Amino acid sequence: MKTRILTFTLSIFLCAAARAELKWEQTTADLHPAIGDKQAVAHFKYQNVGTTPVHFKSVHASCGCTAAQSQKEQVAPGEKGEVTATFSIGDRTGQQVKTVTVQTDDPNPTQATTILTLRAMIGTPFEIKPTFVYWQSGEEPKPKTVVVKASKDFPAKNLTVKSNSQVFTAKVEPAGAGEWKIEIQPKETSHPTATALMIQSDFPKEAPRSFYVNAQVNPPVNVPANAVATPAKNPAGPAQQ
Amino acid sequence: MRWRLRRRTRPVQRNNEIFVSGHWLRQAAVLVLFALVPAIGEAIYFRDKVSWQSPIPASELVTVDQARAWGDSSIWVDARPDEEFARGHVTGAVSLNEDRWNELLPQFLPKWSPDKKVVVYCSAQSCNVAREVAKRLRDEAQLKDGEGKNCVFVLQGGWEEWLKKNR
Repeated sequence: MKTRILTFTLSIFLCAAARAELKWEQTTADLHPAIGDKQAVAHFKYQNVGTTPVHFKSVHASCGCTAAQSQKEQVAPGEKGEVTATFSIGDRTGQQVKTVTVQTDDPNPTQATTILTLRAMIGTPFEIKPTFVYWQSGEEPKPKTVVVKASKDFPAKNLTVKSNSQVFTAKVEPAGAGEWKIEIQPKETSHPTATALMIQSDFPKEAPRSFYVNAQVNPPVNVPANAVATPAKNPAGPAQQ
Repeated sequence: MRWRLRRRTRPVQRNNEIFVSGHWLRQAAVLVLFALVPAIGEAIYFRDKVSWQSPIPASELVTVDQARAWGDSSIWVDARPDEEFARGHVTGAVSLNEDRWNELLPQFLPKWSPDKKVVVYCSAQSCNVAREVAKRLRDEAQLKDGEGKNCVFVLQGGWEEWLKKNR
C-alpha cells in the first residue's frame, strides 16, 4: 500500500513539474473605458521561461468586435512580449466579456492553448427604460412613460426631446435628482407609423449627448409588418452614446 | 489477520443499508483525497479561465426546426457584424448588431409586433453576441408577446446550424 501511495504522489509531482514555457503575467484584464470612448485596449504580457523557443500558431478573438495580435511570431527563451486585444465598443453597454484564444506549439497540450479574458464595463450616461413604446392599431392613444436615469458620473440637469414625427408628442417631467419621466403619446392609432425620438441632455455643454427612444403604432394583426413606415432618419444624424 | 479477513468479506447490513468495513472506507477516503489534490491545484491555476457566462436557459433557446415551423410569425435577427451579414444570412433576416445598435434598432422595430417571435442568431463560435442582442431586446426594448411572455429566442447552433440544415 505504501509503495502505491508513494508512486501515486510522485506521479502527481512529476506532472506538476512539467510547467509551461510561456508564462503569462495575467490572463484576465479588467478595463473601465470612459463614457464615450470608442475602444478599450488590453495588454497581456508574457515571458518564455522555458529553454526552447515558442511559436504562436494562432491568436483568435471570440468576437468580430475584438482584434487581437501578437507582437511576434516566435518568442526566444527568456524573451518577453505581449498580446494586444483591442475591443471596439460600438453601441455596447454594461459588462462585456470577450476572449482571445492563443495557440502555441508548446509540447504540453494543456499549456499550448491559453484563453485570455477581457472584461470591460461600458458605462452609459443614462439608463432609459423602455427604449421602445408601441400601440396596437386602433388602441386608445393613451400616453406611455419612459423613465430616464442619469448615472452618477453624468450630472445632466435638463433633458429635451425632439421628434420629427407629426403623430407622436413627448413631454419631459423631472422625477427627482437625475431622473426624468417622458410621456409619449400618439395623436391617433389608426395608421401604422414609427419614429425615433431624440433625447438630448445639457451635459457636457460643449457636446451634448443624444439618445433615442423608438415609438410606433403597429399594424392591425394579419397586416404585413412591412406596411409600417420605417422611421425617418434620426433628427440629429447617426445615433451616439 | 483472521479478524481482518472476516471484516473485509462480511459487509454488515443495518436498516437496509450496507456498511462496508472501516478498512475499505479508509482506503476510499485516501483515494478521494489524492484525487482532490490535483483537482484543487488545477482549479486554482485555471481560475482565470472559467466561463464567465452561465448557459442560456433552455426556455430562451430555439432549434432551427422549431424556428422554421414558426414561419411568417417569426422575425430572424442576425446579430453578427456587418461584414459577416453581407457575406450571407438567413433569407429575410434583419441585421441588428451592437456595433450599430442605435442605428439598426429603429430599422428592426417596425417589422415587429407582439404576435411575432424573434429568433436571434450569430456564429456558433461566438454566440455570445446573439445572447447579448436578445437580452437587450428583452430588457431595454422590453419586447414581449401579447400575453406578456418572452418572445425573443436565441438560435441553437447559430448560423452554422442553419446552414447545415439548409444545404
